[in-house]
Amino acid sequence: MMDLNYITEDLIKSVGQFLPETALIITFLVAMMADILFKRSKHLTGYIAMAGLVIAGFLLYHQTGVNFKGFANMLVIDAFGQFMKYIVLLSSLIIIIFSFYSDELHAAHSRLGEYYTLIIGMTFGMMLLVGSSNLIMIYLAIETMSISSYILAGYTKEVKRASEASLKYVIFGAVSSGIMVYGISIMFGLTGSLNLFDINQYLASHQVDHLPLLISGLLIVAGFGYKISAVPFHFWTPDVYEGAPITITAYLSVASKAAGFAVMLRFFKTTFFGADQLLDGTWHLLGSINWHYVVAALAILTMTLGNLVALWQSNMKRMLAYSSIAHAGYLLMAVSVMNDGGVSAVLIYFFFYMLMNLGAFFVVQLVSNKLHTEDIEAYSGLGYRSPLIGVALTIFLISLTGLPPTAGFIGKLYVFTSVIDAGYYWLAVVGVLNSVVSLYYYVKVIRNMYLRDIESKEDKLVFSPSAIVIVFVLAVPTLIFGMYFTPIVEWANFSMNIFIGN
Amino acid sequence: MTHDAVLLLSIIILLTPLLSFLINVFFGGKLGKISGIIGTSILGIDFVMAIVVAFTKLVTYPDIHTIQTRFEWISLGPIKVVIGYGIDNIAAMMLIVVTLISFLVHLFSTEYMSDDRRYPKFYAYLGLFTFSMLGIVIANNFLLMYMFWELVGISSYLLIGFWYEKNSASNAGKKAFITNRIGDLGFFTGIMILYMTYGTFMFDEVFAGISSGVMPFNSPTFLTLAGIGIFLGAMGKSAQWPLHVWLPDAMEGPTPVSALIHAATMVAAGVYLVAKVFAMFTADALTFIAAIGTITAFVSATIAITQVDFKKVLAYSTVSQLGFMIMSLGVGGYTNGFFHLVTHAWFKAALFLAAGSVIHAMHHAMHHMHDHHTDPQDINNMGGLRKTMPWTYRTFLFVTLALSGVPLTSGFLSKDGLLAGTLAYANLTGGWHWIIPVMGFAAAGMTAFYMFRLTIVAFHGEPKTKIASHTHENKSVILIPLIVLSVLSLWFFYSPTPIDGSKGWVHRLVVQPASAVPAAYQWSFLLPEHAGEASPAMHAEGEGHEAAATEELHHEAQPAAHATTHAYLNKFQEESHHFHYIAMFLSVLIAGGAIGLAFMIYQYKVISADKLEARLKFLHTFSLNKWYFDELYQATVIAGTVALSKMLSWFDTYIVDGLVNLSAYITRGFSFITGLFDNHVIDGAVNLIANTTGFVGARLRKVQTGHIQTYLVFVLVGLLVLLYYFSINF
Amino acid sequence: MVTEFGIILLYFILGFLFVGIALVMAALIRPSHPNPIKNSTYECGEIPIGEPWIRFNVRFYVIALVFLLFDVEVVFLLPWAIVFKQLGWFAFIEMIIFVVILLVGLAYVWGKGDLDWEKPKPYIAKLEDLVLGKKKQ
Repeated sequence: MMDLNYITEDLIKSVGQFLPETALIITFLVAMMADILFKRSKHLTGYIAMAGLVIAGFLLYHQTGVNFKGFANMLVIDAFGQFMKYIVLLSSLIIIIFSFYSDELHAAHSRLGEYYTLIIGMTFGMMLLVGSSNLIMIYLAIETMSISSYILAGYTKEVKRASEASLKYVIFGAVSSGIMVYGISIMFGLTGSLNLFDINQYLASHQVDHLPLLISGLLIVAGFGYKISAVPFHFWTPDVYEGAPITITAYLSVASKAAGFAVMLRFFKTTFFGADQLLDGTWHLLGSINWHYVVAALAILTMTLGNLVALWQSNMKRMLAYSSIAHAGYLLMAVSVMNDGGVSAVLIYFFFYMLMNLGAFFVVQLVSNKLHTEDIEAYSGLGYRSPLIGVALTIFLISLTGLPPTAGFIGKLYVFTSVIDAGYYWLAVVGVLNSVVSLYYYVKVIRNMYLRDIESKEDKLVFSPSAIVIVFVLAVPTLIFGMYFTPIVEWANFSMNIFIGN
Repeated sequence: MTHDAVLLLSIIILLTPLLSFLINVFFGGKLGKISGIIGTSILGIDFVMAIVVAFTKLVTYPDIHTIQTRFEWISLGPIKVVIGYGIDNIAAMMLIVVTLISFLVHLFSTEYMSDDRRYPKFYAYLGLFTFSMLGIVIANNFLLMYMFWELVGISSYLLIGFWYEKNSASNAGKKAFITNRIGDLGFFTGIMILYMTYGTFMFDEVFAGISSGVMPFNSPTFLTLAGIGIFLGAMGKSAQWPLHVWLPDAMEGPTPVSALIHAATMVAAGVYLVAKVFAMFTADALTFIAAIGTITAFVSATIAITQVDFKKVLAYSTVSQLGFMIMSLGVGGYTNGFFHLVTHAWFKAALFLAAGSVIHAMHHAMHHMHDHHTDPQDINNMGGLRKTMPWTYRTFLFVTLALSGVPLTSGFLSKDGLLAGTLAYANLTGGWHWIIPVMGFAAAGMTAFYMFRLTIVAFHGEPKTKIASHTHENKSVILIPLIVLSVLSLWFFYSPTPIDGSKGWVHRLVVQPASAVPAAYQWSFLLPEHAGEASPAMHAEGEGHEAAATEELHHEAQPAAHATTHAYLNKFQEESHHFHYIAMFLSVLIAGGAIGLAFMIYQYKVISADKLEARLKFLHTFSLNKWYFDELYQATVIAGTVALSKMLSWFDTYIVDGLVNLSAYITRGFSFITGLFDNHVIDGAVNLIANTTGFVGARLRKVQTGHIQTYLVFVLVGLLVLLYYFSINF
Repeated sequence: MVTEFGIILLYFILGFLFVGIALVMAALIRPSHPNPIKNSTYECGEIPIGEPWIRFNVRFYVIALVFLLFDVEVVFLLPWAIVFKQLGWFAFIEMIIFVVILLVGLAYVWGKGDLDWEKPKPYIAKLEDLVLGKKKQ
């Protein structure tokens, strides 16, 4: 049985490239056992999880420069995946640190061990998703991360809206997976394969009907769209973001989006990439469907709806939820150009988005710890009640708006540059108009902090020094990368080539 | 130390004062008096590190022109901005100057500012200022230079206007800032011309571009203009005529601030900038620079003679000395100019700190006697301080000698070389250029005269007021910086012989850079000499000089300089060596004469000062009123601006408004008709757009019902719409 | 030599024999005291006849879920067993890891007390539980 030996060899070779994920699995098991054995220690599993993430990051670092297809072409290791995995690991690490400061998690829970364990589980799912190059693998990875995130969203089950959020999330997720599996099955019927590389081969050598390919592609994209909360698959987002603990909201808005965008880009490039590629980095797409316009339409819908509805929100978490939908729209703009420059813009934007969005959520969490509300009105006079936190939140919000001299500006600059380079001026115009709209609701918070209800400023809010340090660990890079961003840009340019085999 | 270590340490040196700023600005309120100790010790550490870096550069790597690094800051497609920083020999020396003086000023201020209620803030500003100044020192490109240049402007504004409760102080801060901005406009224009032409901000790349023959807008005139533009920036910071007016006013700031920024650092930045980009100046630009320097040196020296405010005399003296440095650079005496910058930094800082010591003592005496009306800075209220403040007097006298250019001091070494350079320049170019050395020597004489006038009136004789007789010597924290700085003004730190500065290490290490400008556009006497043209006269020079000169050749990268038969880099150096003894003789004579005159008038009263004043009434008033520059600007620039704005306003009110009104009458007819249309259609459209955004948002919000069933229906409907749309259209 | 189908036939026969012998032996050995409850159909402890719209005890599902999980995962052992000989040590170690993961899962379920059949604590409903979820905007 020659075949079998070949498979075994492939497996053994692949396991060698699977070390970061393996580290996460081991962390998961160790954290689980530690949770049972040392019930009294509150944060032990948290520390184990952090150690596991750091080790995984270290192992990931050792994959620099590796381009590899493993596990019978189910997983791909490449620089692009590495970048996204770094973002996933880093945001998981930051979220665990945030969780140490979260009052709502600590209120009445002896189950914190499970919480940290599930974060590791979710991280594992996202790491898989980033590298998946097989439709079944994609589906499994999405489920792995989703199931963990369902539980995490409803982690504070005593809070009614949390359980409600969790249940909605489960149902919505189930329907979306169903839609996606339907698309996968049509794709399988059309091309006879689940492997993206094989599908690519088939599309290159055969004529495929327009409508079935569109339907299957759109249904699969719907599955990704649900993860990145693109309109019209976004409906779960505001409810779940509002109901879930703030840490998890922040986590969903960054890490799971990163994984979603990674798999979306990989899917488009691996599946539809024509071999007769143009020299300027533009992808020549196979098949008769103009995916540029499909994604651009999603982008316009997503950012417009996100921004318009965010205007009306009075709850900070909900406002940030819609804002994160809008940001998904900006990112989709860069996806829609479907060239290497666009990929690079997505990576740059994501790195900065991680910093500023996590920072904003952490401030919301700290304020909610003190004031027990997430109402935007409650932020009145915050700039005077706690100057440092006020300054930091201002930096994050300005960065989210995309004004200089912050990292958010640079991210947007690269996104718009990639769109304009590709010649989609109308898309850039819509994006800029949307940015203008977004200015209103971000600045509303800043105005509340500094210009309203100043008489209550004598009522100082005191935060623990370590929390303030963490806020500034995120705020200072947001400023610095707004001025000196070359390293990130170079890193992204190094990582923008998605490995498509040889 | 390796190059990397040098670079790493220099960036630490740069950032350390910023740390002091951050600590004092954020925790100043809690620290109180400790903030001074923190600031001072941070600067002490910084100084030690600066010594390490400077010695490494000057001793281990003297031959490498610049130890530098560069990195890409912005890269947006074709637009690339590369910045960096580096240490060359002059930067290494400036590091020591800036950190040591800043350290001594920090130390001095612990006592001087101890009664101030914004004490921590003062230290924060000092830290910020030192940071920005060090940034200028280590920048190796125009962009960073410009950024730190502006930062220096801001921090000096904060320091000058530190006592902003005083109207005059806050006005002085504004005046300094605005005057500097005028110069910076030129600086910015110059940078932009260079960036547009060469696509880079890096000094070395710009120079390489120039020497490859590429000219801005294909015309050497524009290179000259770029050079003059950059020099305009230097004129603002270094208080060169006609932008010198801010510096005397800036004396409103605390005296240690004057010592730091108006003696050694900020005002030196302009000279330093000219030295850094010396290679890009054409002959025309250099002539302009020389002329400005000479005028500044002369004009401000004449003003200093009649001032009665202790600090104002020093301020005008500073302007005058800066004029000397600029003049020296303009005539091609690069090394002399920079040498004078370094020596001047020590003794002028000492003079200002001594002034601070005197004012501090006067303040204490006034406080003691409950007198709040006497001006503690007026030298006519002093006198006899020699007895009450012996250490202040000794140090002050010594650095006055240095400033006057008396032998055995560093000032003698540098000023002598500088004046010899002007003579050489005049001899090589001839014609009206002889005015430069004449005015230079005159200014040098006046320097000696007004400095001794100041010394004699303030320190000698009997106390002129009761306050002066009740002054006491200050604490050692104030005296130590004075003593350190005056010791540094002894000749042997710079040269083995007290009469010739060119034998010292400064001349060996600070080598005039080869000009990047094509030979046709630069002074022929600044061109490197070729082997065949060696003049036999130079062989007559002593052996010591021969050795030093060969060293110089060794540093020079120019291939022509490898010729061994001659010792001079160019004709200018040869010539200035010839004039060395003449210049020395002349300057000693003039300084001695001026000092003697000062003693005759003010000490022994052989000649009555009042009679002299009466006889030269016109000149005296002219000088006392500072050549009416402030009034001139008031009458021309400011009044002109106001008049222009009034004219525009008049034009606006009558002509434009009239036309507008006319057309308004005409349009009113139409508008009555269109108004109806407007109200109902146009306004409606505008409001519609404004409201639609909100309305749509509000409607869309309603979609989020909270019911999962509806969500899923929407998803399916959305999917179907997308499917339908794309299957039809694409 | 039997054909492939012969093997299947043998398999069927052995199966019937195995079950038949067991039933016959049991009928011979056991005591026989029938009563109505014993005669009713066994349905996992629930009453088999009656209204279907009743509350099932949630504890059944926890156990069932855990069982199902292990059951399905153990299916993986079958293909492994077939190719074990060819794969050798690699497969052995791989399966040990797999089983260890399952064991950790079992330990976790056990440790968390999800296998305990506890009496439910009564929960008295409060008024606000009956109010429908707040309408989201």
